[in-house]
Amino acid sequence: MIELTIDGKKIAAEKGTTILEAARQNGIKIPNLCFDKRLKPYGGCRMCVVEIEGGRKLASACGHPVKAGMVIHTNSPKVRRVRQSVLEFLLVHHPLDCPECDKAGECALQDLVFEYGKPETRFAGEKKHAPPDVRGPLIELISNRCILCGKCVRICAQHQGRGALGIIGRGFPSVVQPAFGEILECDYCGQCIDICPTGALISKPYKYKARPWFLEEKENICPFCGVGCTLTLGIREGKILRARGKEGVGITDGNLCGRGRFGFDNIYTEKRLKTPLIKQGDEFRQASWEEALTYISKVLQAIRKANGPDVIGAIGSPRCTAEDNYMLRKFMESAVGSKNIDSSEALGYANALKTYNLSFGIKNNPAALTSPLGKDVVFVLESDLSITHPVFGLNILQAKREGSHLIVADYRKTKLTKHSDAWLNLKPGTLVALLNGIMKVIVDRGLFNRENISKIEGFSSLEKMLNEYTPDKVSGIAGVSGEALIEAAETFAKAPKRLLTMSLSASENTKGLSSALSAANLLILLGEEPSSLQILAEYCNTSGMLEAGIMPLEDAKGVMDMLYNPGSLRALYIMGEDPIVNMPNTRRIIETLKSLEFLVVQDIAMTETAALANVILPASSWAEKNGSFLNSEGRRQEIYKVVDATGESMPDWQILRNLGLMIGSNLGAKSFEDLSKEVKNYLSQKSEETKKDIKLTFHPTHYRPEEISDKEFTYTMVTRDVLQHSGIMSTRSEALRLVQAEPFLEINEKDAERHGISDGYHIKITSRRGSVYLKAKVTDAVPEGVVSTPVHFSSGMINELTHISPNTCSRLDAVKIENVQNI
Amino acid sequence: MFNETVLKEIDEIKGRYPDFRSALLPALYVAQREFGWLSHEAMSYVARTLNLPEAMVRGTASFYSMFKHKEAGRHLIQLCTNVSCMILGAERLVDFLRTKYGMEPDNTTQDGRFSLVIMECIGACGTAPAMLVNTDFYDNLTEGKIEEILDKYK
Ligand code: SF4
Ligand code: SF4
Ligand code: SF4
Ligand code: FES
Ligand code: FES
Repeated sequence: MIELTIDGKKIAAEKGTTILEAARQNGIKIPNLCFDKRLKPYGGCRMCVVEIEGGRKLASACGHPVKAGMVIHTNSPKVRRVRQSVLEFLLVHHPLDCPECDKAGECALQDLVFEYGKPETRFAGEKKHAPPDVRGPLIELISNRCILCGKCVRICAQHQGRGALGIIGRGFPSVVQPAFGEILECDYCGQCIDICPTGALISKPYKYKARPWFLEEKENICPFCGVGCTLTLGIREGKILRARGKEGVGITDGNLCGRGRFGFDNIYTEKRLKTPLIKQGDEFRQASWEEALTYISKVLQAIRKANGPDVIGAIGSPRCTAEDNYMLRKFMESAVGSKNIDSSEALGYANALKTYNLSFGIKNNPAALTSPLGKDVVFVLESDLSITHPVFGLNILQAKREGSHLIVADYRKTKLTKHSDAWLNLKPGTLVALLNGIMKVIVDRGLFNRENISKIEGFSSLEKMLNEYTPDKVSGIAGVSGEALIEAAETFAKAPKRLLTMSLSASENTKGLSSALSAANLLILLGEEPSSLQILAEYCNTSGMLEAGIMPLEDAKGVMDMLYNPGSLRALYIMGEDPIVNMPNTRRIIETLKSLEFLVVQDIAMTETAALANVILPASSWAEKNGSFLNSEGRRQEIYKVVDATGESMPDWQILRNLGLMIGSNLGAKSFEDLSKEVKNYLSQKSEETKKDIKLTFHPTHYRPEEISDKEFTYTMVTRDVLQHSGIMSTRSEALRLVQAEPFLEINEKDAERHGISDGYHIKITSRRGSVYLKAKVTDAVPEGVVSTPVHFSSGMINELTHISPNTCSRLDAVKIENVQNI
Repeated sequence: MFNETVLKEIDEIKGRYPDFRSALLPALYVAQREFGWLSHEAMSYVARTLNLPEAMVRGTASFYSMFKHKEAGRHLIQLCTNVSCMILGAERLVDFLRTKYGMEPDNTTQDGRFSLVIMECIGACGTAPAMLVNTDFYDNLTEGKIEEILDKYK
């Protein structure tokens, strides 16, 4: 520690700290316009000048490291004079359009001028007068207001790993814009909007919506992915107008992705359900809560009476709170008397839990968002984590910047492959073969501790199985060269600190239980702890839902029965899920749902699945109720009612409690506080149970593809997430729809040429189960022979094509494509 | 697109620095040498070769005045008209280039043979007036001498 004095206050700071940071750590404010703690010091604005006693000149605090015994004055008359001049220079070019600038009132430049400025100026220079660039969907660039601090350029390139913006030109005419003045096409994370100290970068959906001083800011957890960022919501007259990230707030400390920043408006969709609806003939009619709940309770009781409770099932939601899901389980167990409860995560994160159990003998292995930091090697397994978990993706990039060796196995070009040290460009869905190949190299070269590891259960069968996975053979299957495989194996095996990380979700068909088991095998082989395997739960409350007990118990029915086995149930209660769009093999699901006598769907908005229901119940959205989400770290974070409920909607848990009472079962929870306490107790009890000794077991898994392309179905179809969306909910956001409103099929340039397909052409795509029509997106991001499509859009109905299989290496589908542009 | 030899040259440049960003200026210089000027394609290509964002490449290229962003003639004449050169008649030489060869500052002759750029001091005040033709340096210029020199550049 180094001791120094700032403004008469003796402080201590770590060696290498800058004066600015040391001051910040001690609550001393030094004004600045180009500093951000996420970025390297830049020294561009000179607002942060301070006086160091004995120094010849003033020093910029953001770039100057502390030295022992320094005596620093941050606010002396000299310093103030210089700052005043800096601002005076900035204002020579800056337009004084604060009256119509969204930023006014929370603008760093305005605030500093207010504090340091003086009324007259010694200079009369040219004002900037370029027209604003309004072409992009979400972000407007108003270069006249830009003070060229370069923060946006740097956050985008250094931190976001994107580099969409540059300072183009030199001197007065310099502007911030994309490379060649084209429309800004980027991640739309909006990090540049938050970081801009002026009104030069603004959010289009929020433009002219409210003066900042009229906004009430409230914090809430993002309702999309499993990262669980804190959104600072700006609310006016009961309506959410914007979301931003704030340094020091929440686990992600000011970082947000575009979904969280722009996607909250999905709660204002016209598809929102406002009253209960009862199906009459082919139409729905509005009903009162009383009528709808009485009706449901009567039918459920009749079915139970006639056939027993085992023909009734329920599906929970990774979007609903832990309290909602807890109540659903309680409702099913106590009011209905059935254990048939499951969720879409049966195809996703439930496989991670199974793996932890089988391979490590533990119930859970929550991720840690900062886990990539400080690792020598980070190995990403066929996962586009910058898309599924954007802010976790930032941590991977940060690790790489700080010196981690980044290996990425993926069939497609992604932001992570671009930043990787080694890209194992494998064929989609061949991860299991690749990992087996890597283990084979490790075993053959003796890169592991045979003496200890061979004692672990399953080792001999693993070793035997690996014989099939020589580099040559794996190279044939996965398309990765033998050398690359060996190099990756050596690098990973020899690294002192290493990490395997991946996502596992229903929307991705490239991975399955086997993929996670293989990853665990590799780590056990290397003598690693379970924490070296980071599988990120997909949605805001995937973990909380599973913890709340939405998982089929033994001898009960899971989704394979409830959604894929017509006749297995007579009544189904679906809360916050749209299986028809969101889960594979749509036709089979529709067939199964149609075989039901009674379907209840409870959701915030109308969905394809709800359209088949007998009764639809309107639920309040995440911003309209209290509750808690468990993020992918298993961290419980509370969410709050920040705006009024839409229409007559109610929180899911409340609907279920009321319905329970109708059926004659008191599920407790008189108030939310009651329920919250009960759930907290339940969760902490469960986490006590989870603390168990690790028991390692190898579960050798072969690479066994299910559907192989043949002469007719020549392409492999991959389903995946896109950056702007998260499940279906985000597709109801007007803002996010401005970037991506409809589904598309990515196809390699060469394949496109063969079919005469150009961007935007209509394509018919057919699998062994059905056909759908999509627009082509010609790209070099996917390899030849592979087409790829997002599943979020109900207009796409991609899952008409897909098939289901819960326990495999992958669920890829073989498809054929036809150019139908001119038909 | 760069040919094999140029790619090798850029690879060699990359090898000199721990960070590809440092290779940007030399790589842009190679691109300008190869294509004569930095078109958007040329800058995109440099970006891809160095795995850097296009915006960074353009931003850097646009900062340095010796990179050309317009198509240039086969030969680039950079004539100084700063103080020393001016006193020793550089303005007259500009007129001479104009009338004799049809050159205009910041423009290219119709036959695509010459582009003319007026420079600030190029550090040859002692032997002014001075100019660069491509990378060749000439000083103590007169009209006659210019004629002789330019004959060599077809
Ligand atoms: S929105 Fe994000 S990706 Fe786009 S320019 Fe801004 S920082 Fe870069
Ligand atoms: S747009 Fe904003 S953040 Fe970017 S350089 Fe200009 S003032 Fe700085
Ligand atoms: S979607 Fe995920 S990464 Fe993006 S803001 Fe929300 S929680 Fe954060
Ligand atoms: S904050 Fe130090 S120079 Fe800008
Ligand atoms: S003034 Fe022309 S070379 Fe210096």
